[in-house]
Amino acid sequence: MANRLTLRQNVESLELTSSGLIAFRDAVAKMQALSADDNRSWMFLAGYHGFSQFQCWHGGRIGLNQQALTYDLFLPWHRAYLITMEHTLRDQNAAAALPWWDWTSSGSHRVGVPLAYSTRRIGKTPNPLVSGPVPEVRSGRVPGLPPSPARKTTRSPGDPEDLPTADQVNSVLALTDFVDFSQQLQDIHDQVHGWTGGRNGDMGTIVFAGFDPIFFAHHCMIDRIWYLWQLRHGVQNVPPDYMNKPLAPFPLTVGDVLDIHRLGYEYAQASSSHD
Amino acid sequence: MTKGGIDMPKAPAAKSRKKAAPKKHVTTAIGTESLATGFVRADLVFDGLDHSGASFEARIFINNPDADANTEMTVQNRYAGKFHVFGHGGCFGDVGHCEVRGVPRPYDPRPAHPLTPMRKVVIATEALRREIKRNNGKGLTLTIVPIVRSGTVRCDYENVLKFDRVSVVTYA
Repeated sequence: MANRLTLRQNVESLELTSSGLIAFRDAVAKMQALSADDNRSWMFLAGYHGFSQFQCWHGGRIGLNQQALTYDLFLPWHRAYLITMEHTLRDQNAAAALPWWDWTSSGSHRVGVPLAYSTRRIGKTPNPLVSGPVPEVRSGRVPGLPPSPARKTTRSPGDPEDLPTADQVNSVLALTDFVDFSQQLQDIHDQVHGWTGGRNGDMGTIVFAGFDPIFFAHHCMIDRIWYLWQLRHGVQNVPPDYMNKPLAPFPLTVGDVLDIHRLGYEYAQASSSHD
Repeated sequence: MTKGGIDMPKAPAAKSRKKAAPKKHVTTAIGTESLATGFVRADLVFDGLDHSGASFEARIFINNPDADANTEMTVQNRYAGKFHVFGHGGCFGDVGHCEVRGVPRPYDPRPAHPLTPMRKVVIATEALRREIKRNNGKGLTLTIVPIVRSGTVRCDYENVLKFDRVSVVTYA
C-alpha cells in the first residue's frame, strides 16, 4: 500500500477533462475490457456484490420466527469492497481514485445523475462510466424464465427532486448508536438505488447493481457519511462483538476497516457536519 | 422501551410474475395502552420483511385505510413516514438457490442466509405522538402502500410487500 493517502473527491467538483477523471475512466475502461474470468476484471469484481457470488451484506439479518438480530455488516462490508475495487483500479492506472456522488447537492437535485456518469462520449471516446458490462445469464437456471445474453447496464433514474436531502443525512448523522445509524443510513442508500435504477435499471436491484459504474460513486457517498459519523461519534464505535467479524471474500475484518487512513484514503472537504 | 405490535397475515403464494399493481396492506388495530406516555422517540418496526424481489418504497399512513399510491404524504392524510427496500431482484440461480435456511444450529459459524428476512425501523415520533393523542387511546391502524421503484423479469411485483410483524416501539 502506498504511504500517501488517496484523495477521493466529489465528482461534481471535477471537470470531465480533469486529470483525476481521465485516470479514473482509463482504469475503469481497462477493467471493463478484461474477460469475466479474469479476477481483475470489472465483471469479476461486480460479481462479488451480486450475480453470481452474492457476498454483499445488507441489513441486519433477523432469523426466521423473530430470532434475535445477528449483526449488520452493511457499512464495513461495503468499505472493504470499495477499497478492493480502488486498489484494482489503481493496478490499471496508479492515478485512479474513486469519486463520490453527493446526491443531496443542488446540482443532483437539478440534473440527477452527474454529468461524469451520464455524458456518453468524452471527445470521441465512449465514457465507460455510463454503463458496465454484464455477463450472460444462461438458460436453465430457473425453469420457465428466459436466458439473458451478455449486455451493458442501463438506468432509468427518477425525478431529481426525489433524491435524499441534506436534512435527511443530518438527521442520520445525529444518531449515536452504530446499529441505529447503520439501519437508517441503509434506508437512504436503498432509496438511491431504487431511484437510479428506475423500473428496469440495473442499479435498482442487488443482483446487477455492482455492474453499473455509478454504484461505486453512490457507495463512496455512503462510506463518506459513515466517516463523518465516525468523526462525531468515534472511529472505533461499533458493537464490540463486530470487531473480529470477517468481511468475506476480502481478507479483512470489521476492525481492519474502521480507520480509513489506515486503509490509505481520505475524503476531500470532509467535515464533522454535512454541508 | 415499550412495544405494541401486530402480525401480518401470510400472503398467498404468487401465481404469476407479470407486472401488476403492488398490493397495499392494512393492519388490524395496534393497541397503544401499554406504550409509555411522554416518549422522546417512537418507531414503527417491521420484522420479517422480505427483500428477495423488487425494490420498493413503502409509505405508511395511520388510521387512513383508503390511502393509496396517489395519496399525498401530508399530516392531513395521517402520513407517518416511509421506508425503502433495495431488493435482491428475484432468483438468478438454480432451483433452491434462494431458499433461506431454517433456524441456524448453535455452532454453525456461517452468517445467516443473505435473503433472511430483514428489519426496517421507521422513526415516526411526531406522527405517532399526534395520532395517539388524536385517537384518544384507541388502537392505531396502519396502511402500508408499496410503490415499486425497480425490478427484474424475475420479480413478483404484485406481492412485493411481505413482512411478519409490525410493532410500535417507544423510548421514554
